Amino acid sequence: MNFDRFTPAQKILLGLAACCLTTLIAVPLSRLLDQANMVMLFLLTVLLVAVSLGRNAAVGAAVLSVVLFDVFFVEPRFSLAVSNLQYLVTFVVMLATALITGHLAASLKQQARAAEARERATHALYEIAGQLAGALNLQQMGEIVRHFVATELAGDALLCLGAAAPASHDHWFDASLAERAQASAAPVDDPSGRNVRYLPLAAPMAMRGVLAVRFAHAGRRPAGADLALLQALASLVAVTVERLHYVEVAQRTELEAAAERLRSSILSALSHDLRTPLTVLVGLADSLSLCAPALPAPALETALALREQAERMARLVGKLLDMARFSAGSVRLRAEWQPLEEVVGSSLKLLGAALGSERVRIDLPADLPLLRFDAVLIERVLCNLLENAARVSPAGSEIGIDARLAGDFVDIAVSDCGPGFPEAATGTGFDAFVRAQQAPGSSGTRLGLAICRAIVDAHGGRLRVDNRPDGGAVVIVSLPRGVPPVLEPEVP
Amino acid sequence: MSDQRPTVLLVEDEAQIRRFVGLALADEGCAAVECGSLSEARAALRLRAPDLAIVDLGLPDGSGIELVRELRGWSPAPILILSARSEEHDKIDALDAGADDYLCKPFGVGELRARVRAQLRRRPHPVGTSPQMSFGKVTVDLSLRQVTRAGEPVHLTPIEYRLLATLIAHPGQVLTQRKLLREVWGPAYVESSHYLRVYVGHLRQKLEDDPARPRHFLTETGVGYRFVA
Repeated sequence: MNFDRFTPAQKILLGLAACCLTTLIAVPLSRLLDQANMVMLFLLTVLLVAVSLGRNAAVGAAVLSVVLFDVFFVEPRFSLAVSNLQYLVTFVVMLATALITGHLAASLKQQARAAEARERATHALYEIAGQLAGALNLQQMGEIVRHFVATELAGDALLCLGAAAPASHDHWFDASLAERAQASAAPVDDPSGRNVRYLPLAAPMAMRGVLAVRFAHAGRRPAGADLALLQALASLVAVTVERLHYVEVAQRTELEAAAERLRSSILSALSHDLRTPLTVLVGLADSLSLCAPALPAPALETALALREQAERMARLVGKLLDMARFSAGSVRLRAEWQPLEEVVGSSLKLLGAALGSERVRIDLPADLPLLRFDAVLIERVLCNLLENAARVSPAGSEIGIDARLAGDFVDIAVSDCGPGFPEAATGTGFDAFVRAQQAPGSSGTRLGLAICRAIVDAHGGRLRVDNRPDGGAVVIVSLPRGVPPVLEPEVP
Repeated sequence: MSDQRPTVLLVEDEAQIRRFVGLALADEGCAAVECGSLSEARAALRLRAPDLAIVDLGLPDGSGIELVRELRGWSPAPILILSARSEEHDKIDALDAGADDYLCKPFGVGELRARVRAQLRRRPHPVGTSPQMSFGKVTVDLSLRQVTRAGEPVHLTPIEYRLLATLIAHPGQVLTQRKLLREVWGPAYVESSHYLRVYVGHLRQKLEDDPARPRHFLTETGVGYRFVA
């Protein structure tokens, strides 16, 4: 039988009624039973009241039992007076026994009930932990949490993930309190009459948001056990949000890697398909010009022109593929510490006769530190800049490569004797200039500046252009110096 | 007469490339065995061991690196790789697998013939049997461990000398960074490429006329170094 639906006052009244009922049953039996047994009946009543109705009802029942015993079973009957003073001892013992049994029984009952509630809460937590572990997305998680709060805590739940407040929320949600809970990493109660608690979702890696719960009973503050349950729920939700976050990150990374693989395999297939016919063209034109007996002069000239154009085409294709690779956003560096002189030398060798290597003046200070860069890519930058310089300069004029220390950077300047950059291209106008150079119609006076820029940016450096006071342009590549590795001195 | 001609195994899937490479080889006085795939090349290798192999890396039935590895298992013949410019990694893999040199597509016939000549030249007389060798103004006496430049003795540290000796023992051959680091510094240094770069710089400073435009100690960017006499 469940007496929990009665209010405390009703419980006390029921306890008193039980004593009266016992008296009604006991009075007809008073001829047959000894007074001591009557006392037992009253004690049994108090015990039952304590177990079923709680401590307050038991106290009331104990007092009333003593009074009723006195009135109905002790001479003189129907009066509180006592003829034999020994009964006073009986009353005191009876009252004390009734109070103590009542108290113990009620405590036991209360503990049993608390244990039951704890077990139920634990079970509910197990259940929601299992459900949350299986949640595939945030929406599903939100449903699970709302259902849990509604059934276990008789309240409404609102999840506010990340820094932003939910777009549409109930009138009871206060974003500033949610923010305060996140900032302080401690639960915050609504100070106004609303019975709302904001719990920060603190996961191992980061603060993941706020769980707001409104309890249905407006007047009653939630008890300790409920708050502990709520705290456990908040921890579970925080871990779930973090798990879902990392699942998403992992999926995205995988997707990006797959896209990257696809892109690079398309590019390498394209590169192969474009280069093969160009290789054939270059090779066949070459064979033609070298064949024995030698071709007549006009035919030989044609063969050489064919070869030159095919090579030019190959360089353009190379640049376009580079551009495609870099504009896709991912430049993967294979950076190593190395002297600048080496990559300058290899760039000059790669350009070879096309440039006229002897017109290049190289001025590298002897004490230049090792720099950390991807030699293949920086070689591409230097080749592009040198080619551009050669293209815009009068034939045979000097092209300079200078390097110098500039704070935390090393500046590498490629200068020419051409017409220089338009005023708009220097300084802050460089971005627009680079874009304009990529346009198809611009016949490529400065082809590949965008590639150079992407490469230099990937190195944490800067690319800028300027005009020399005495005419001609200069393109400056700044590479960060960093801390070069120590070379162990050689032990002779 | 025809028995004297060196045999060159040419493995390339594009028929037109085979054609002009074959022409160039014929001009060099070589007999070319042309194959369009790995399986054809394996069949040809069972019939005759080549004096030189020219292998394209991208073949329809697999990578040329496989063939390099197989061939290197039993033949000392030099191997020349054909590859695209942007694939440094494939080149390094092929060189580590035992290839001796590579050519980037597109390449000229003149360059191809020069490489073929260089590879065939070192075949019958491996360098190192003669104690003296010279390049440019430099003479190296391997028995006395002496280096002179334009008649003047040049002082090299032990590591510089070891690096020089390793490079000149493989003229015309591309040596990868890993290989040089392992041979000169030891296996613990294979990742310390800056040592190699700095010491090659020293050699250039001491032995080249213009260290910024080297003629003998050439950089194969992203791959390694090549010594040219």
